[in-house]
Amino acid sequence: MDLLEPTRQAFALLFSGDPALWQSIWLSLWVSVAAIGLVAAPSISLGFLLAKKRFSGQRAAVVLVQALLSFPTVVIGLAIYLLLSRRGPFGSFELLFTPWAIMLGYMVIAFPILVVFTLSAVQGADPRVYETARCLGASRFAASLTTLWEVRFGILAAVVNGFGRAISEVGCAIMVGGNIAGLTRNIPTAIALETTKGDFAQGIALGFVLMVVALGVNIVLAVLQGEGGLK
Amino acid sequence: MSAPLLVLREVRKAYGQRLLFAVGNLAIEAGRTYVLVGPNGSGKTTLMRILAGLDRDASGSLEFRGAPTSFALYPERLRRAIVYVHQHPYLFHTSLRHNLEYGLKRRGVPAGERARRVEEAIAWAGLTERCNTPPAKLSGGEKQRAALARARALEPELLLLDEPTSNLDREGRAQTLALLAQLVEERRTVIVACHDQEIIDLPGVRRFHLQDGKLVPLA
Repeated sequence: MDLLEPTRQAFALLFSGDPALWQSIWLSLWVSVAAIGLVAAPSISLGFLLAKKRFSGQRAAVVLVQALLSFPTVVIGLAIYLLLSRRGPFGSFELLFTPWAIMLGYMVIAFPILVVFTLSAVQGADPRVYETARCLGASRFAASLTTLWEVRFGILAAVVNGFGRAISEVGCAIMVGGNIAGLTRNIPTAIALETTKGDFAQGIALGFVLMVVALGVNIVLAVLQGEGGLK
Repeated sequence: MSAPLLVLREVRKAYGQRLLFAVGNLAIEAGRTYVLVGPNGSGKTTLMRILAGLDRDASGSLEFRGAPTSFALYPERLRRAIVYVHQHPYLFHTSLRHNLEYGLKRRGVPAGERARRVEEAIAWAGLTERCNTPPAKLSGGEKQRAALARARALEPELLLLDEPTSNLDREGRAQTLALLAQLVEERRTVIVACHDQEIIDLPGVRRFHLQDGKLVPLA
């Protein structure tokens, strides 16, 4: 197969400002960013609590969250579909086949990633961080925030990974979004569709954008880590 | 004689059935430096951590400025009055200046006063030229001096120092010893847990020996 011509067409599409293409890109970006923005605070808090607090059933809770990491995204999509479908408990909100349903799916998918990465970062933190903060007069809450700040690159890595997982997710997005052109078609679902139609130019263009986003986010993380003295 | 700053009563620490120490009554007077000596594993660090409220699993009670309380409760007021410096102090991964400001901010010290105290503490520790260096790039001795300066800037009523000269090279140790001597001279209330003979021999300090679970004053 000649890949040169579709690749040339892909870049032509990208730089000509093709509305359908850029709509998919914009949808992917805002839905992923919004999902991570909404899920970050509760998941980072839970990760911190699981790492620092001792309670009965803690081990089981950690195992459960870790198990959610390997949960098939189509099953998550199915669960959300059933909840949001007209006959489901949240059917009256009419969220199915809207960007909000995709965002909800992304939040569920990113949640265990952020929890487990935060848990791991906080568990790996020097125990003197929290103690030093407390000894210097910080409240429990302030000392917890200081601990999170000290492991900020681990937390950033959690956010970047969650974002990466969300923006590249296909199964759940197709199930709850429906891949509707101009409404719920995002980068990965568009790649899947255009490839099956044999329109490789669109697929290559969108794949290129996905890779640029992934690379860009990771470069930003690496630069921040460097500035934090973690070269 | 004025009332003691801190009185410990029947402090006991045990791990299961094993008793680590049982301290009868101990009064800490304001303006004095106390040195706590004892072999490794005798419980010096544990006692310091109990006093700092980091280990609340000890029986007994304490009185601070005449107000009774327990280790389990350890009120926030005490946490502001007593500052503990770890054997290997931790400096936050920010700047030296931010490290010194940290506790002052938590205490609500106004910005102007905060800046004055930070500058004074940096100069006191001889770290003026290093104040913009990331803490990770400071030497062991500089880190120890920075931690002492950070604690001193808070003007605590009781300062707890755990082995402040251990694992330091000769120069770092000498500089830390000089700062400790100044704290004694300034009549700060300090308890130092250590093995360092030069600290033990500092003039004007009171010495206690923790061994076999008992705390006994030394001549």
